[in-house]
Amino acid sequence: MTTIEKPGYKVIGTRPIRPDGVEKVTGKALYGADIHLPDLVHGAVLRSPHAHARIASIDTSAAEAMPGVLAVVTHTDLPVVSDTVVDMGEGVSTASDMSKNVLAADKALYRGHAVAAVAATNVHDALSALDAIAVEYEPLPPVLSVQDAMREDAPLLDESRHTKTPAGELSENASNVAAHNRFEGGDLEAAYAEADVVVEREFDTKMVHQGYIEPHNGTANWNSDGTLTVWTSTQGAFAVRSALAELLQLPVSRIRVIPMEIGGGFGGKIGVYLEPVAALLSRKCGRPVQLTMDRTDVFQATGPTSGGHMKGKLAVKDGKITAAEVSLAFEAGAFPGSPVMAGAMCMLSPYEVENFKVDAYDVVVNKPKVAAYRAPGAPNASFCVEQLIDELARETGADPLQFRLNNSAREGSRMITGVAHPRIGHEETVEAAQSSDHYTSPIEGPNRGRGVASGFWFNAGMQSSVIASVNPDGTVNLIEGSTDIGGTRASLAMQLAETLGIEYDSIRPTVVDTDSVGHNDVTGGSRTAYASGQAVYEAGLDVQQQMVARAAQLWECEAEDVEYAAGALRHKSDSEKTMTFAELAGKQMETGGPLQGRGTVMARTPGAAYGVHVVDVEVDPDTGKVDILRYTIAQDAGTAVHPSYVEGQMQGGVVQGIGWALNEEYYYGEDGRMENASFLDYRMPTSLDLPMIDTIIVEVPNPGHPYGVRGVGEVPIVPPLAAIANAIHDATGHRFTELPISPRRVVEELHNLQ
Amino acid sequence: MLIPSPLRSLCAGAAALEVAGATLGEVLRAVDARCPGFYERAVEGGRVRPELSVALNGHAFRYGLTEPIAPADEVTIVPAIGGG
Repeated sequence: MTTIEKPGYKVIGTRPIRPDGVEKVTGKALYGADIHLPDLVHGAVLRSPHAHARIASIDTSAAEAMPGVLAVVTHTDLPVVSDTVVDMGEGVSTASDMSKNVLAADKALYRGHAVAAVAATNVHDALSALDAIAVEYEPLPPVLSVQDAMREDAPLLDESRHTKTPAGELSENASNVAAHNRFEGGDLEAAYAEADVVVEREFDTKMVHQGYIEPHNGTANWNSDGTLTVWTSTQGAFAVRSALAELLQLPVSRIRVIPMEIGGGFGGKIGVYLEPVAALLSRKCGRPVQLTMDRTDVFQATGPTSGGHMKGKLAVKDGKITAAEVSLAFEAGAFPGSPVMAGAMCMLSPYEVENFKVDAYDVVVNKPKVAAYRAPGAPNASFCVEQLIDELARETGADPLQFRLNNSAREGSRMITGVAHPRIGHEETVEAAQSSDHYTSPIEGPNRGRGVASGFWFNAGMQSSVIASVNPDGTVNLIEGSTDIGGTRASLAMQLAETLGIEYDSIRPTVVDTDSVGHNDVTGGSRTAYASGQAVYEAGLDVQQQMVARAAQLWECEAEDVEYAAGALRHKSDSEKTMTFAELAGKQMETGGPLQGRGTVMARTPGAAYGVHVVDVEVDPDTGKVDILRYTIAQDAGTAVHPSYVEGQMQGGVVQGIGWALNEEYYYGEDGRMENASFLDYRMPTSLDLPMIDTIIVEVPNPGHPYGVRGVGEVPIVPPLAAIANAIHDATGHRFTELPISPRRVVEELHNLQ
Repeated sequence: MLIPSPLRSLCAGAAALEVAGATLGEVLRAVDARCPGFYERAVEGGRVRPELSVALNGHAFRYGLTEPIAPADEVTIVPAIGGG
């Protein structure tokens, strides 16, 4: 690890065993599909076979009459909701779009779009009943790419949609372009006129899925008192509660969401798909209803991330990037809300660029509505910009990392939004990569090459609450509401142990439901170790303060005479008077009753994350296969609370990026059917495809967190797409501007077979 | 107040304005006095629009309109983003 200005910690920086580890490796942890309730019945969802079709009618009468069938629902069972924008805690959507995505209204907008659902005494009856639902479709031509969707004569997904601008203007004609934003600054034309080198290219990426192993599930029980209980696999129980409240027009106080263990999310388990449908079915049949997806449903009917088209033009003068003009058009899927703005704001943030114009287009197409995926939008956009920067470095004869260092953003540099960076660690991260064993070792042999790329992600803060209840034996129950995806039970327990000066094993973290703790925003945006960690710190200070008061009570002195340090209480002027945390914990009853600390935060200063990647590849010119020979990632973690989990996040992000770069894509037929909706055909990397991913943790503490923590989960997926493309260019001399760089595409390019 | 480039058309192209205000709401109102329509683009229903964030001295956040603003503070509006 490369560490800067870091104080000595007792617990933070160690690598203890995760509290939930035994339950998970012994198969005893409970996931959403493990829920079995009295009278539970199962449901199934009817999905559109068309990518784009008007729904003329739906007749459910035959299905309702079938034996075993208890309830059938369609969009008409959902309340009418408004067009107002709903803040889901991490991303926004309109309630009406959410409602139409849950169950199609007048149009099916992608193949797999839910149209109706059935609850029956067993899943076989439910599936049989789907066949008895008569849906009259009027098929329409599908729109499957942003280029097609942006044509003036393109079929419209929604005839009432016009392009919005931030200034509140609407396009004259209806359009599939839901929004257009522009950032600009400086004098672009003058910079191009004076440039030493200008490079310009177009790039294309495909829709890809997060690929979490556990499919979506939702179990709902509409209780006879009008309250609703939902068990689900989610990154945010409170976000699910908000969505259900909006979609079902219920007060949040009547909804309890119980988050089960989660088998991966990566941003794709923030929205709701099955939960509101299960709730409607439960209300209709009076029994708890469980819905689960299979892998095909997950691919076709949940939220992958955008493909898109990008154009970039960058210029350099005297080794400095002087101009950047980039246009991004991202697929939003069936409803607006692609991550194009995040991509636009991230891609140039590792650098100082004075003259720029960035256009961002949010474009609806007949594909599933996209969801977040690890640093949403940034990998695609960086695929464009980081390749152009590689070209600028090559054209000017500069080392690609030194070129990045010479142009690096630092504290005070302004992003394209005009916002000045606080303390950031891009320079330190580039330097760590430069001095790595990997980068200082030569790469030799035919068809081999090396590539590098930088990546940026904002990270998020938002709301977190925790409770720390002190047990009489000196342990502490840490009650939290943040789904544990990447080891946050451990990282939060460690921060509380550090704050209280006690052993990590003395903290017992538990993730609870929405009735049992204050509001917590989603585990997403790389926010939990940072923001919930800050809440944990506040709770620890609260416990400390209460313990000081109780020690003063026991010692018959003023609280000011007592200090709390290193897990013990001491009288400042009487060395005979000391007590350990555990000793005072055992005296709760005689000093005023239960000791409970509380921490609630609206975290405002997450501190951005940077990663710099170095990758060596070998390209087989005959088969087109690309092998990853060596991969090193340097990343600023602020302070690595649990270095093993930080390394795991870094390695996991890289692996997903490798899949995105080389193989993964939603492969569509002209009719809008995804042709590879299974893991047999959707090619994700396996351990056999990968070398050990070497990690260098850089620690530039975040001044906005008591322990200097920065989020680490998302930025590692930002650079791999471009780093690998740059390495393939180094190996072959060919610049690949379209993803995935699959064997077919490599062979076609190298042998001019297109 | 740094004027985001998409909203400069409301401010005769100005990239920054110096305005007085003790709270975020007052600052946005002061900008609106010189850039008619600005407040409406930033605020809806008594809060900053959910699709936007306010960046205060480099930190983007969903600040409330009562957030105190100090004399030298730098404020701008940026699109809200969601992470994964």
